[in-house]
Amino acid sequence: MPVWLEVAIRSISIIIGLFIITRILGKKPLSKLSFFEYIVGITVGDIAGTMSMDLSISLEEGITSILIWSLFPVLTSRISLRNKKFRDFVEGNSTLFIKNGKILEENLKREKYTVDELLEQLRKKDVFRVADVEFAVLEPNGDLNVLLKREKQPLTVGDVFPNPPSEKEPQTVIMDGMILDEPLATMGLNRGWLKQQLDKQGVAVENVFLAQVDSYGQLTIDLYDDKIQIPEPQEKKLLLAAIKKVQADFELFALQTEAKEAKALYEANAKKMQALLQKVAPFLKN
Amino acid sequence: MTVVSQVKQSLASLKSIHAGLQELALISQDEQAQRTFHEAMMMTEEIIADIKKRIGKLEWEEPQYHGK
Repeated sequence: MPVWLEVAIRSISIIIGLFIITRILGKKPLSKLSFFEYIVGITVGDIAGTMSMDLSISLEEGITSILIWSLFPVLTSRISLRNKKFRDFVEGNSTLFIKNGKILEENLKREKYTVDELLEQLRKKDVFRVADVEFAVLEPNGDLNVLLKREKQPLTVGDVFPNPPSEKEPQTVIMDGMILDEPLATMGLNRGWLKQQLDKQGVAVENVFLAQVDSYGQLTIDLYDDKIQIPEPQEKKLLLAAIKKVQADFELFALQTEAKEAKALYEANAKKMQALLQKVAPFLKN
Repeated sequence: MTVVSQVKQSLASLKSIHAGLQELALISQDEQAQRTFHEAMMMTEEIIADIKKRIGKLEWEEPQYHGK
């Protein structure tokens, strides 16, 4: 067997082997690897590289070494899934850096962190004043995570609206001009509905690059032709406007009429419309 | 525009609101949204019944506007 052929066979089988091993190791992203896992990865790659080139190493020796190096992390991660103490030992503990707004100098020293490095890490999190921090912790993988003081935390929807209406994930129903039936069915819709909506906006299915339906049944589309302007869906806004108009009409009728009975009826219904408006307004806005 | 036709216009708007709410109640994915739209729809039904009664009375009082 010529040398180049042996190298080729070795390389191809090692590539396939490494591919399978990486699949077994799982889908933790590279940045989330612990230092140990990182080193294991490099070593496995190095062994594989040497094995494919250096014909003086016998295949059995190389494979034994690779298997040990790559299966050891699998084993440790299996055990650490079950055992908290083992996990702490293998993956390390997090270290408190700031607690109750006070820097813990002892812990900084233990992790060999200078104040400058701490400040730099805080700035990465958009924190420029240490006084704004309630709590900061150094994770085992070297990330610094920061909890800001309550008054410095960014505003969320929940702060402004106590009970915001929830939104489910939108479904993509047209891709590259092709209708996707499965997501449509998930929303309880069908092709007929989709066609009706597209006709309303005056576009043909073939011209649609992407179309999505949100959890309130509103269809938003993107066309191949970027020069054409597509209006935003208006149904919810129009409905809200109609409710407001009818409510105002009833108040007007109540003012105009002389008959007492009719006045009472219009006023009662104006109040009902007001209640209805308040009920649905959060769902109809945006 | 006479009073009757104004009220009738409001009734038409109400019916369209009713249909819109019904559609949203059916199509919404979130359970709370479904319930809210459904309750709102029931409220419009009550109001529609009230207004229909009122229109009947108006037409009876002023038969010259009947059907307009």
